Amino acid sequence: MNGRRTKLFVLLATIGIAAGLSAVCPVGVRQASAAVGLTDEDLKVSGPKTDDIAAKGDPGAEQTGTINDVAVADSKKGLTLADLANQAGQNKVAINFVWTLVAGFLVMFMQAGFALVETGLIRAKNANHTMMMNFMVYGLGLFAYWVCGFAIQMGGSAPIANLGGAYPLNHEQVVNLFGKPWGLFGTKGFFLSGATYDVGVMVLFLFQMVFMDTATTIVTGSCAERWKYSAFCASTIFLGALTYPLFGNWAWGGGWLSQLGANFGLGHGYCDFAGSGVVHAVGGLTGLAVAMQIGPRIGKYNRDGKPNVIPGHDLVFVLTGCFILAFGWFGFNPGSTLGASGNGCLRIGSIAVNTMLAGCTGSFAALLYMWIRYGKPDASMAGNGLLAGLVAITAPSGFVNSLSAAIIGWVAGILVCLGVEFFDRVARVDDPVGAISVHGLNGLWGVLSVGLFADGRSNYGGSWNGVNGNVTGLFYGDAGQLVAQLIGIATLVGVIFTLSYVFNWLVDIVVGQRVSAKVELAGLDIPEMGALCYPDFQLKASDYSTSSLSSVGVAAKQ
Amino acid sequence: MRLVGIACVLGGWLLAVAGLFLSSSNTVRLVIACVGIAISLSGSLGVLNGYYLERAIWKK
Repeated sequence: MNGRRTKLFVLLATIGIAAGLSAVCPVGVRQASAAVGLTDEDLKVSGPKTDDIAAKGDPGAEQTGTINDVAVADSKKGLTLADLANQAGQNKVAINFVWTLVAGFLVMFMQAGFALVETGLIRAKNANHTMMMNFMVYGLGLFAYWVCGFAIQMGGSAPIANLGGAYPLNHEQVVNLFGKPWGLFGTKGFFLSGATYDVGVMVLFLFQMVFMDTATTIVTGSCAERWKYSAFCASTIFLGALTYPLFGNWAWGGGWLSQLGANFGLGHGYCDFAGSGVVHAVGGLTGLAVAMQIGPRIGKYNRDGKPNVIPGHDLVFVLTGCFILAFGWFGFNPGSTLGASGNGCLRIGSIAVNTMLAGCTGSFAALLYMWIRYGKPDASMAGNGLLAGLVAITAPSGFVNSLSAAIIGWVAGILVCLGVEFFDRVARVDDPVGAISVHGLNGLWGVLSVGLFADGRSNYGGSWNGVNGNVTGLFYGDAGQLVAQLIGIATLVGVIFTLSYVFNWLVDIVVGQRVSAKVELAGLDIPEMGALCYPDFQLKASDYSTSSLSSVGVAAKQ
Repeated sequence: MRLVGIACVLGGWLLAVAGLFLSSSNTVRLVIACVGIAISLSGSLGVLNGYYLERAIWKK
């Protein structure tokens, strides 16, 4: 009995060693270390008797998950060391698949949070329209991303070790400029067809798709209460099919931004752990481009340019939505390791704590700012502060310590308040939910903060973006990383904004971006969607007197 | 006016990227990148937004 136990112990130890080695050692080293003394003969031990388990059950979980459960390739030979090693490798990838998929499911649920936040912050007469925009970004964005977005973004991103390689994603379109290779876009994975019908690719697709959907849903907030539904559909498809995937490729798919380290010696190239830039700044800047074009809501500004407050209709929606988003963010950031086993993925705990901390300090800072400045702890800005902190920590979450995370979140909470005031009063870009400040401004802050606060302690498998060593920001000694982050910011505000602006300009010419003044004053639910969100309730008319309306508004009201 | 704004926005990015080739000093590259970002932002928030503010619905 003791001999069998010893052998089983050796067996379990071997599984552990094999799992570790499969993550870090080349094949030759693995073969050498397999000769620890074990042979296939040592594996000829019998597991628990199934008859015993059938009779007594296994309440203590002592006989479930044993040598009997290791898959055998050749039943004549029985269990071999090769079977054992394969099982260890598959277990590692299985853990990573499950982790990444569950994280993706959490991120998908964030759509519900966004829908509640945005709908709560607009007037009841537009609730159906806003909910339906948030609902359909999922379908429209997914379709566009499946057709071509994923291929453009990740078509040249292989190998991805944590997901078993995802080897079919192996072609990046590269141009050579001034003697340097510039990856522009991927070309494998259109319609997920051909060789990309692969288990690892499917996991990656699901995870990346829900990220893209987050970016598209940001725009619906900044353009709420006056955006024509047909224009929204066209704009969302373009964002999911081209704008988002392009920047996603440059940052995450092996494109030129990620290679700034290898090509120009700038730290580890542009680093964006979970997407402050790729997801939030892309969405926020697109929101700015469209909101600028369609103009403010009627009644938002007086003739002298003074802004009016247009309160939302349900703070319960807003704060419940914020909690759902904060919950979903635990998929967003820790899930971006694309695994929980191997390659430094055990930092998931640290990433989750950073996420939690930055959200808390963000909401606290925004609450204090509003309380001190306006005399009341404003609920919607406390919610936006939470989101701002979460947005800002998204890029640095995998590279910073908890103190830095708290500082990043705190700054984000102040920034979002200043941003809302700036866009409201100075730039006069009407953003009903504060999406440009929450996602655009703080997305850029998050990207910048990697270049400042990355502490040089994180090492995901030895190298990031093909550069050996740890990601280190300016405060820990690497100015090059900060330059790489600034190039990323310049690309976001220069190229991504322009792409979004030009395409939505075309949509404006062809379809028209804005509903008529009459429709806007009546509320978009009936004219645009054909149904009220709250048909059983008597909606209260807006408080705005005719004197505060422009001539367009007065004419429409009459 | 809109084309001028777009040119400014794209020009800022081009300057930031060109800085990578103009100097191998990270300090110089950092300054050029900041200038590029400032030009892009002035193009979007200044020129382009200014165009729309001149035609704003609340001024009619």
